[in-house]
This record gives sequence, structure tokens and C-alpha cells, in this order.
Amino acid sequence: MDRRKLLTSAVLGGAAGLVGATALGSLSPEDVFAAEGANAKINPGDPDPNFVEGRITGITDTVLFVTSSDGSLHSIRVTNGTSIWKLNPTTFDEVKVGDGLYARGLRLADGTLAADSLWVNIVNLNAHVDSIGRGSLNLDHHGQRVVAHVENGRSAAVYNNTPAVSDMSMLEAGKHVKVIGAWHPDTNEITISTVYAAV
Amino acid sequence: MAALYGEVSWFCCGNSWGPCGTVGKGACGTCNSGSRQHAWPNTSAACLTITRPDRCGETLARRTCGHVHTTTNRCTGKAIATSIADCGPQTDLFCGERTCCGSVCGSNRVIDLTPSAYSAIGSLSTGLLPAMIT
Repeated sequence: MDRRKLLTSAVLGGAAGLVGATALGSLSPEDVFAAEGANAKINPGDPDPNFVEGRITGITDTVLFVTSSDGSLHSIRVTNGTSIWKLNPTTFDEVKVGDGLYARGLRLADGTLAADSLWVNIVNLNAHVDSIGRGSLNLDHHGQRVVAHVENGRSAAVYNNTPAVSDMSMLEAGKHVKVIGAWHPDTNEITISTVYAAV
Repeated sequence: MAALYGEVSWFCCGNSWGPCGTVGKGACGTCNSGSRQHAWPNTSAACLTITRPDRCGETLARRTCGHVHTTTNRCTGKAIATSIADCGPQTDLFCGERTCCGSVCGSNRVIDLTPSAYSAIGSLSTGLLPAMIT
């Protein structure tokens, strides 16, 4: 059952709906059905109303206030059913003012996004390895220098078709990599989650 | 077009935060991370000289800005329709790369979705997924 159907069944009082109602807090039937109508059709190329990109400017209880890079303002409701990623799967208390995020959920009638998933500070960089230091890679990303830190026990490498491993020794300066990582806000640094390299 | 099988990834574009803040609006001038869009390796002859999917044995049709593809996550069956907004991915940098979920695999990066599009069919933290493109 998808999230929207779960929400719908929640307001109709089904057994599965009770789970949905708990996960998303007290959503009124009007909220859910209004959201259904607003979200019914999204054309290719259009902005997705169920997605938010931006920086967190405030946090109160379980609501994040976010300013998108185009200047638009958003409220995002986080529940105990929201999955949160910040380098690893994590909890709401790890989310801070100043973090960047991508959020996906369901846009409610009052404009709030009820979040299914938050990816905090996540970046996906296709970059050139300029040099390799002790515990970090110096990357060229569209002409900008990015320092990518290796964190023992968290950072992993994937070489061609291999499963992810902690061994970074096969990375080479002068090669291209793709890095999933977590940005350190207001710096040119990230921590590597997974680095993909062809060897 | 006949179904194309390969890997799908994601990329940021347009106004954004962090390292994504410098990447611009893409080859079509319309790309935004929050829109249902994608990058395609053969949007023009100039694009193809950069991405070179042929070096990985992939022959991709010329499709220009605004063309709609549907990408299906072969791990879950979830699909999304998006329009071309940029040239990419640079397929030849990772020839032969393979991503699997169980026995379902995809080889070679043949399409990049925006974060909003990718997150509709999979988690951004996965980075790569086996996909079918039509």
C-alpha cells in the first residue's frame, strides 16, 4: 500500500489506517482529500509539490522551517514514521538549523509537507580526484575544490561491480569518482558515505 | 522506443545549496533539482562527444530538450516520467559498472534524474539503481 492510500485509509478508520494516522499525527480528512486532489497530476518537467529542497532556518517540536534556494518558504512536518538520512539513517535530534536537505512526502492542504523521507546534507558528486591525503580525497567538482573525508566505519568504496568495502586503497589521483556523502554546512567539505570508482 | 536497460543515478541542478550551488541550470537552461527532469547522454552531437555511451556498447537515440522518458526502478517497479533538461551522465567514465538488487542488475549509467524525480522511485542514499527506460 502506498503512502497516499495509507493516509486515505487512515481517515476512513481501517486497521492499516490506524498505523498511518499514528505515523503522521492528527491529519484531518479534509487535509488528506485536499492533498489527493492537489497532487493528482504532475506533468514531466514540472516542479514536484511533494518535494522540497533547501536549508533549515528553524526547528520547533516536529516542524522544520526551510528556505528553498529559489527563496520560497516551506514547513515540513516530521513524524515517527519519517525516515531520516544524515550520512547514515539517523534520528530527528541530529537535524540542525543550517543543514541542507531534500524532503519527500505529501503536501497537505495547509501547505505543510508531511515528510516520508528526509535526506540531510546529502550530495552526489561526479568529480575528478586531484590528490589523496591522509583520510581524505581532494576533489575537483565543476572547477571547485571539495575535500571529501573518509570516516572509519562509515565510509565505503565500490569498485566496478564489487560490493561496498571499507578499503579505499584502490582510489587513484587523476581518476573520476562519484561520491554520495554528507556536506559540512557552509564549507567545501563533505564526509564520504559511498565512493564509486572504476578501476 | 525499445526498452533500454541500465543504471539510473541522480544529479543536482539549478539553485541549490552546498557543492550543488555551482552546477547551473544544465544544457537546456531549465534544470532544477525540484522538478521532474533528467539528463540524457545524447541530446546533441556536442553532448555525445562528452558522454560517449558508445564506448560502453550503448547506442542511445538522439533526444532533445523536453523529450519525455519513463524510468522504472527495477528493484521496486516504481516508475516516473520526466523531461530532458541536461546532457549526461558521462557514461564512459564507468563502463561496465553494474548495480544489482538481488538477481536484478543494470549495467552502465544511461540516465540521471533530478533529486525530486529519483526520490519518487528510490532513496537518494542508494545513488544508483538498476532501471528500465522507455
